[in-house]
Amino acid sequence: MTTASFSPRLKQKEVLAFRRGRMGVSAVPGSGKTWTLSLLAANLLLENRVTEDQEVLVVTLTNSAVDNFVHRVDGFLKESGRKHILVPNYRVRTLHGLAHDIVRERPSLVGLAESFSIIDERAAAGIRSEVARAWLLTHPDELDEYLDPTLDESRAAWVLREKIPELLDEIALSFIRTAKDLRLTPEILRQRLDEIPFSLPLVEMGWNIYHDYQRALAYRGAVDFDDLIRLALIALNEDKELLQGLRNRWPYILEDEAQDSSQLQEQILTLLVGEDGNWVRVGDPNQAIYETFTTASPEHLRRFMASPFVQKGELPNSGRSTQSIIWLANRLVKWVMEEHPLADVRDALVSPPEIEPTPPGDPQPNPPDNPRGIHLIGTKFTAADEIVQVVKSLGKWLPDHPDHTVAILAPTNKRAFEFTDALKNHGLPYNDSLLRSSSSTRTTAGMLGNVLNYLANPDSASRLARALEVWQRTNEDDSQEKEANKQSLALVRKCRQVEDYLWPRHSYDWLEELELQSTNPPLYEHLESFRQIVRRWLGTVLLPIDQIVLTLSQDLFKTPTDLAIAHKLAVLLRQASELKPDWRLAELTQELAIIARNERRFLGFSEDDTGFDPERYRGVVVVATMHKAKGLEWDRVYLVSVNNYDFPTGMPYDQFISEKWYLQERVNLEAETRAQLTALFPERQIDTGRRDPRQWPEPGEATAGSRLDYIRERLRLLYVGITRARQELVITWNTGQKGNLQPAVPFLALSELWEEHLHEPAG
Amino acid sequence: MLGKLITGLTTTQLEIIEGPPAGHIFLEGPAGCGKTTTGVERLARLLESGVRGDSLLVLVPQRALGKPYYDVLHTPGLAAGGLPDVVTIGGLARRMVELFWPLAAEKAGFAHPEAPPTFLTLETAQYYMAHLVRPKLAEGFFETVVIDRNRLYSQIIDNLNKAALNDFDHTEIGERLKSAWVGEISQLRVYDDAQQCANIFRQYCLEHNLLDFSLQVEIFYRLLWQAEPLCQQYLKRTYHHLIADNIEENPPVAHQILQDWLPDFDSALLIFDQQAGYRVFLGADPGQASELRRFCERQVLFSESFITNPSLKSLEEALQRVLQPEKNPALPASLETPGDPSLALSYSQARYYPQMLDDITDRIADLIAQGTPAGEIVVLAPFLSDSLRYSLTYRLEAAGIPARAYRPSRALRDEPATLCLLSLAAIAHPDWQMSPRKEDFTLTLLQALDGLDLVRARLLADSVYRLKEGKPVLESFAQLPASKRERITYRIGEVYDRLRDWLENAASGPVEPLDHFIARLFGELLSQPGFGFHADYKAAEVTANLIESVQKFRWVAGEPLQTEGIPLGREYLQMVQDGVIAATYVHSFQEVVAEAVFLSPAHTFLMQNRPVEYQFWLEIGSRNWFERISQPLTHPYVLSRRWEKGRSWTQSEEERTSRESMTHLVTGLIRRCRGQIHLGLSQLNEQGFESRGPLLHAFDRLLRNLPEIEGGPV
Repeated sequence: MTTASFSPRLKQKEVLAFRRGRMGVSAVPGSGKTWTLSLLAANLLLENRVTEDQEVLVVTLTNSAVDNFVHRVDGFLKESGRKHILVPNYRVRTLHGLAHDIVRERPSLVGLAESFSIIDERAAAGIRSEVARAWLLTHPDELDEYLDPTLDESRAAWVLREKIPELLDEIALSFIRTAKDLRLTPEILRQRLDEIPFSLPLVEMGWNIYHDYQRALAYRGAVDFDDLIRLALIALNEDKELLQGLRNRWPYILEDEAQDSSQLQEQILTLLVGEDGNWVRVGDPNQAIYETFTTASPEHLRRFMASPFVQKGELPNSGRSTQSIIWLANRLVKWVMEEHPLADVRDALVSPPEIEPTPPGDPQPNPPDNPRGIHLIGTKFTAADEIVQVVKSLGKWLPDHPDHTVAILAPTNKRAFEFTDALKNHGLPYNDSLLRSSSSTRTTAGMLGNVLNYLANPDSASRLARALEVWQRTNEDDSQEKEANKQSLALVRKCRQVEDYLWPRHSYDWLEELELQSTNPPLYEHLESFRQIVRRWLGTVLLPIDQIVLTLSQDLFKTPTDLAIAHKLAVLLRQASELKPDWRLAELTQELAIIARNERRFLGFSEDDTGFDPERYRGVVVVATMHKAKGLEWDRVYLVSVNNYDFPTGMPYDQFISEKWYLQERVNLEAETRAQLTALFPERQIDTGRRDPRQWPEPGEATAGSRLDYIRERLRLLYVGITRARQELVITWNTGQKGNLQPAVPFLALSELWEEHLHEPAG
Repeated sequence: MLGKLITGLTTTQLEIIEGPPAGHIFLEGPAGCGKTTTGVERLARLLESGVRGDSLLVLVPQRALGKPYYDVLHTPGLAAGGLPDVVTIGGLARRMVELFWPLAAEKAGFAHPEAPPTFLTLETAQYYMAHLVRPKLAEGFFETVVIDRNRLYSQIIDNLNKAALNDFDHTEIGERLKSAWVGEISQLRVYDDAQQCANIFRQYCLEHNLLDFSLQVEIFYRLLWQAEPLCQQYLKRTYHHLIADNIEENPPVAHQILQDWLPDFDSALLIFDQQAGYRVFLGADPGQASELRRFCERQVLFSESFITNPSLKSLEEALQRVLQPEKNPALPASLETPGDPSLALSYSQARYYPQMLDDITDRIADLIAQGTPAGEIVVLAPFLSDSLRYSLTYRLEAAGIPARAYRPSRALRDEPATLCLLSLAAIAHPDWQMSPRKEDFTLTLLQALDGLDLVRARLLADSVYRLKEGKPVLESFAQLPASKRERITYRIGEVYDRLRDWLENAASGPVEPLDHFIARLFGELLSQPGFGFHADYKAAEVTANLIESVQKFRWVAGEPLQTEGIPLGREYLQMVQDGVIAATYVHSFQEVVAEAVFLSPAHTFLMQNRPVEYQFWLEIGSRNWFERISQPLTHPYVLSRRWEKGRSWTQSEEERTSRESMTHLVTGLIRRCRGQIHLGLSQLNEQGFESRGPLLHAFDRLLRNLPEIEGGPV
């Protein structure tokens, strides 16, 4: 039995025919790889290829992709009449989720207590920063020799105070992450450092910070996300029986977004698959855009696919874009491969497969071609002008296309927000939720945070008013109520002595004195009810934090998701308060905000946040970064700031974000440190074929290497940007804040090629 | 009297109960077949027949399990004269060590055998352990292990206890753990560290006449019971009759002592629960317990359950088949038991955790509406988080259903009244320089002054609380501007001034021990009208517990601290703040409230030995049903007497024991149910994760094979 109602394309059928062994699939943007992989999972289940105790394991990159997979596989299974009673025979996880599952099998195997906690990135950054600052205090002059000697004294002092701590944070992050990727504990690293006959001050610095950072984590009974993955691998390597058990459990492993697979991910999955397991890896090497500071590399997927034991699949057909846009994307790849001025980066993008339109009769036909929809604007705009022009263009376009989708995609968050400000000022409808974190968690936490904030400051009328606002939001039904809400807010904000409202003395009751009972009875009732509620809330302050939150959430939330998130937040805050017994409401309220921003990787409540759907925002300008836009598509796309700063080519005038102006020869200290660290362990590196791992890096070599990596990744980012567009694409550039930037070389090249293409004879 | 007690007993039970006070009986059977009832009735019968109470020894593995025996002893008019001793092996050890101290002290290697011993509680042992291990942590001990400090200390203590209960030298701990280890190499160093810390602790105890639980047991067993004829003679002369219940939960040394001692008892009744042994983590050795059978002339097997009905029996069989397929025929082959398991089990499945709690609350409300007494309903989870406890109790109470949650222990630190008392103590002792934060002082005022609300408490704290040179200072109410006084109210101001005066007097008076200070603060001030603890029995109870905790701390740590010139009060506060002293007050006998729904961890409910009509099982997906708590520094199986030295502890070993203990747990629960079990499932657990533990898989298989079982989404 298989799912019947879908008719896959020929190439999809080849992938769906997979039953045994290993397969690598190159997919182009919009080729339906998630759909194909979900259907493959469903088919394997429907054919009973796994037993009751086994599962098909799907590994993907993000939480929203996890949900997406679950919904699709469930959909296919339901359609075929298959039900599971309590446990489905498949499991979809991000790498972190998978590592968590593995480590949880036997935490003590890797030195973890049952109750180990996972600190999120924000908390990890805080600890790293503390540790790095402490190192700086004890080694105040250590980094002096790297400073640009031409800096005058006061400038140098300023750099040391303001810039060096920031730089150190960056180095610490990359050093620790790399060490963990290479599976180096501080002890192993120390041993090697003691063995070598020369000194490596940068690695020594990294070691110190890494060592203290790990100690700080251990003290908290915690691990960070990178540890989780490292430890999972250790567990699999150390305990053969555990490994065997997991191999039995997961006879099929389907991996999506394999181009972003890291060295550890590959090692973990290789172990889990074993000799006899079945493994399908699907990815698009041209869309690998998460490589900075990691060992993630499209190289892993390429090498896998090059193996003679791996079946090859391709998903080249995409019904997403017009022929013109497809032409541009394919042409970018060809240009990079053949004509990029830096021969070293010509491997950044690859083909085949090229993007091909869908065959005739396909249920997803490409939009009709429209070369006039391509606008590669070479005009030299200032940063401000670029915004003006784009907004102006949208002002004209929007009224004519109320049912179309449109996005502005910028290289950075900061630049994207500049566009939202402008849209706001011009009264154009926009949505910026892709620039922000998971919305429902944030809203729930925000509401709780406002009430907790009041509890921490019970005599503050403004905080009480915020609490009232929160309470009103949960009870707002009709316009009459809205009016009452506004009035009551205004009144409470002006209440000078809160106690006269909440616990009036015999002689003076603020609420009674307003004489609302006769003039506006509903308003009186409203404020009276709120008074009762607040009294109850204030009565909770002696309870432990989780109980306060649970009590509040009963009054504030109604939907199951909100209540579930509140419950989880309560549990997390309780853990935080146990870890930090001296924390009180004020600190815990802050922590709540931090949790809401960061504790997302495991949050299973992402249903509401699942995959942003551009179709829900017709006639509204979605503003996002190019990174965040991956996997999404719009009818019209503006790619902005396509200049040589964000998309460098290695020209003499190019500047690189990680090469600091205040350092001697603009060395990339982060890259140099990381290169020395990796060079210490040639046996642990992956062979990219680019350099001999046994060779010690020359000074400056890493800076140059890091440039090349950055140039490559940015070329792929541009490719991702272009392939987001369905019908129309607008690309612009600007001269930057200092007015000295140039248009990105690939953009210029593409503009030229496009002009030529337009003038080519038809056909 | 007896006539009333023996209603409903079987002939075999009666035979044992009414048998002559002679001979040794080994009584075994599964849970729920009347073994403890027989033991209790036997005790009553012996007393009625004129056996001297104080010649009777009742041995139980933990105090809570002695409850049915205490209850019968409190039956009016049952026994005249001395009462039987109901003790645990630890209790007996402590008594003997106290009694025979002069004989054992020197042999044990104590530095001051002439001076009396100091017995450590778990809390005070933890205090000393922290004291000794902290410098080692700074040296880099335990660097590669991720565990919070207090659990680290307690696991080292645990290792010592396991060595003593299993009768091997504490110096073998590290080697044993290392030789069984199959994981990462760096862990081996951690075991060395653990060994070294155990040695340091033991050495310190010997130098300072301190006896932790491990030393008490070790001295009792090795130096007194085995080597000191006087001790054995004393015990044998004192006790002539023995009832030992739940012997499967006892450790090897207890079994060895019983084995040696049995021939000398005129009568003995050993009660063994088959398939139990839930306290393996605490050193229980059910295997060795069952071997005591050979030393009894008579063996009796109870196999008929008084509790379980045929449907539950067939559910038990079906579950065992899916849990241990290697030992049982696989489903769907028909069940041997005649009942219909679908009558014994139902389930409901929600997406989110709070939805599941709502559903459970509704179901309980329905049961109660249909006439089920609340006391006949329990809600069980493998681990009862505070948030779960609170959320469910809250919902049940909102629905007008009385509910009571099991609280194994409650850290005094978490009691608001403790915060109030200790903050006031810190203010009265400015030299400690432990000034409470203003937030804490606000909450202190809120509790201390009757009728004060939080807004005014905050105003008052803001107005009167200052720090001068790091020391807390309280301004008088009269010094405040009139507008402030007006807002706070004069009535509150007057009571506040009384509090302030009292604290000032205390600060200028002679230094007194912290426990005395707290007692006076409570008696002279806080319990008086106008103050917050007046007529607040809960606060009074917390105060009493706190005083007891400080007192114990003073007895143990008072002298050394004095020598070092550290104020005891400050040290105590510091330890409470660091969480080293949880100041845990253990309710050993938590009364079961007959008229309330009971929320409990599954293991705890088992150890209560109390059958009920309805059980709700939550968090079926949790791995905690299956696996033991991961303890990186210790290991219940490797540190047991049965473990072959040098053998590796592998994943299959782990799987096997986990599966076995889960089967025992689940079977034990079913046998304590008379009516029906309901599974409350949620796809995402409390923390929003999807959890798919082995018990969920087992039920999944069960439901696939028994589709007639009712359930579905909520």
